[in-house]
Amino acid sequence: MRRWWQKHGLPIVLTGLVIILAWFLRQSDGALISEIYALVSRPFQVEITLEQRLTNAKIAELETKVTELEKQNQQLKKLAGHIEQQKEPMITAPIIGRSADYWWNQVLIGRGSQDGVKKGDVVTGVGGLVGRIIDVTPHSSRVLLISDPQSRVGSSVTRSRHLGYITGQGSQIVVMSFFEKVPDVKVGDTITTSSVSPLYPPGIPIGKVKTLALENGPAPEVMIELTVPLNYLEWVTIQAFEPKDVIEDQINNKNNDS
Amino acid sequence: MRKYSNIRQIFNYLIIFISVLLCLLLLPARLPGMELLGIHPNWLLIWVVAWSVKRTSFEGAIAGLILGLIQDGMTGADPTHIFGLMLVGIITSQLQKEKYIKEDFISISLIVFGMVFLTETITAIQYMLQGLRSVGNIWFHFQKVALASAILSSLWAPVLYYPLNIWWSKLDKFKKGSFRYD
Repeated sequence: MRRWWQKHGLPIVLTGLVIILAWFLRQSDGALISEIYALVSRPFQVEITLEQRLTNAKIAELETKVTELEKQNQQLKKLAGHIEQQKEPMITAPIIGRSADYWWNQVLIGRGSQDGVKKGDVVTGVGGLVGRIIDVTPHSSRVLLISDPQSRVGSSVTRSRHLGYITGQGSQIVVMSFFEKVPDVKVGDTITTSSVSPLYPPGIPIGKVKTLALENGPAPEVMIELTVPLNYLEWVTIQAFEPKDVIEDQINNKNNDS
Repeated sequence: MRKYSNIRQIFNYLIIFISVLLCLLLLPARLPGMELLGIHPNWLLIWVVAWSVKRTSFEGAIAGLILGLIQDGMTGADPTHIFGLMLVGIITSQLQKEKYIKEDFISISLIVFGMVFLTETITAIQYMLQGLRSVGNIWFHFQKVALASAILSSLWAPVLYYPLNIWWSKLDKFKKGSFRYD
């Protein structure tokens, strides 16, 4: 017995320890690995080129205009007796990695809880909605992209205000299912997040209607091409967002699953 | 002699740890030349194959379990990677390499090619059982992923297999040699 233990004891103990470590990594959503990855990839993070700088300047200009208009809008709403909370500042983050398996559509970004990123925050990029934060470590966070099949986004047609939700297909095309039986929608209509979406703030651009499949049962569907070039994004913006209370438990459950 | 064998053993654990960590860090990275249709080599699978080739099914299964758990943490646990990687470990160790396959780069690449198809099929089946995605969508995605990943993984497999195999065969020789002195 003792000889057997002398021969096999160490490997058994080590294997046990490694399994426990692996289980810990799994339960922590691979936080340790994301952290190491963020640290290692820091020197390789891309510098902004002149062209991007100019584009960014243009975006900044437009953003300022939007903020100005929003301010005016808010003041008008205040005059009209409408109360809305102040927006929180945005965080810009580089994309440092893609999902560790191609069945999932996630990205790893180089900002974490130390920079003020929280679970549930909304991520946007050049062109519109990108996804939301599902996991945060001190220096990195994981984003579930709207192209992921597990992602659901409440959305509406800007022109007719008809409501539905968007499901990812693992590509640049997503499917929008409508709640109405006969929705008013045409090819080329723009789609934004809807005001009843519990996970996203209203009015963020998503994409344009590409093809109609209204006779699809159980709900009419349309294919939407995302305006954000998800595969080429290098930088994203994180917007603080508190998911609405009603389904917070559901979100937590979903995060545990995904 | 005993002292040296202990040092070698510790060195071996270190090599295992570093090679696994390297594979894990390569997963989220998209380096030029390692990407095809946005798909990258399945480094963990290559590692499990390299590990299991000269080991028992049990050791292969344990390696698959551990790496599967870690990959679940890095992506999502539903569907899980554990089944696929464990099966890869078991089957690779069961292959009768002396009879049919020589232990060279090409046979390792071939094993990896087959194993990628196996794991992707298992993932696809899990998705179908889950019922969240339409079958057409899963099938379309499966074809793209399985083929691109199998090609890339089998091409990159020797990069990982070659150094690990050299080290492990050396270690084996030392072990066999040291029994005489013990």
